[in-house]
Amino acid sequence: MAQENEKVIQSRVGEITVPLERVIRFPRGLIGFENHKEFTLIHLREDSPFHVLQSMESASLGLLVADPYSFMTEYEVVVGEADRKLLGIEDHNDVSVFVTVSIPVGRPDLTTLNLSGPLVINARTRLGLQIPQTDSKYPSHFRPGAVEGNPFRTGQAPEPES
Amino acid sequence: MLILTRRPGESLHLGDTIKITVLGVQGKQIKIGLEVPNDMQVYREEVYLRVLEQNRQAMQASDQDVLAAADIWHKKTKR
Repeated sequence: MAQENEKVIQSRVGEITVPLERVIRFPRGLIGFENHKEFTLIHLREDSPFHVLQSMESASLGLLVADPYSFMTEYEVVVGEADRKLLGIEDHNDVSVFVTVSIPVGRPDLTTLNLSGPLVINARTRLGLQIPQTDSKYPSHFRPGAVEGNPFRTGQAPEPES
Repeated sequence: MLILTRRPGESLHLGDTIKITVLGVQGKQIKIGLEVPNDMQVYREEVYLRVLEQNRQAMQASDQDVLAAADIWHKKTKR
């Protein structure tokens, strides 16, 4: 039975119980999903950089996101003064950054990180914003290389099989 | 669509809080100054549409592909 400090929701990965302290409020929603304000992060696997940013209200609204710093050492996100205030950022250590991830159907090796619309989350205030980067020096898509010993190492697409 | 003609230096007011000024015209480029409330988001259309499309794509990844990607990149895969 659900207790008051947790909530049972339907998610992309089935029914899950979310402790209320794991609910992140996006006061502006996400781009294209402005009406959805409450999300939670579901870690797909303990050793994985991938998470699902899951709407608390809509099971189908679960975005695949990733910790960009698992793939690249440098990725700078510009957060304006107003956004900083809205997120209540006082200490940079409270801030986490996620980027959305696209996988072409059936081609997980061609996974790309989308660097132009990062999600900035203040863990302390449990507030999040999607902050499109206008004059970013990074490409909008980044295709990460894979781990050692993996055939997709360089991030180059293997030749499609005919 | 409401269509108005403005010269450089002239402005438009949208309600009480938004002011748009045509600052100058150089060839095909028009420089626009926007005075909007602090908490109002202004996006270049192409950036807004790109992020919107990427959000949709991030929703559409199939479970199978997500798991396969998680197999390719795991632990700290920093290069």
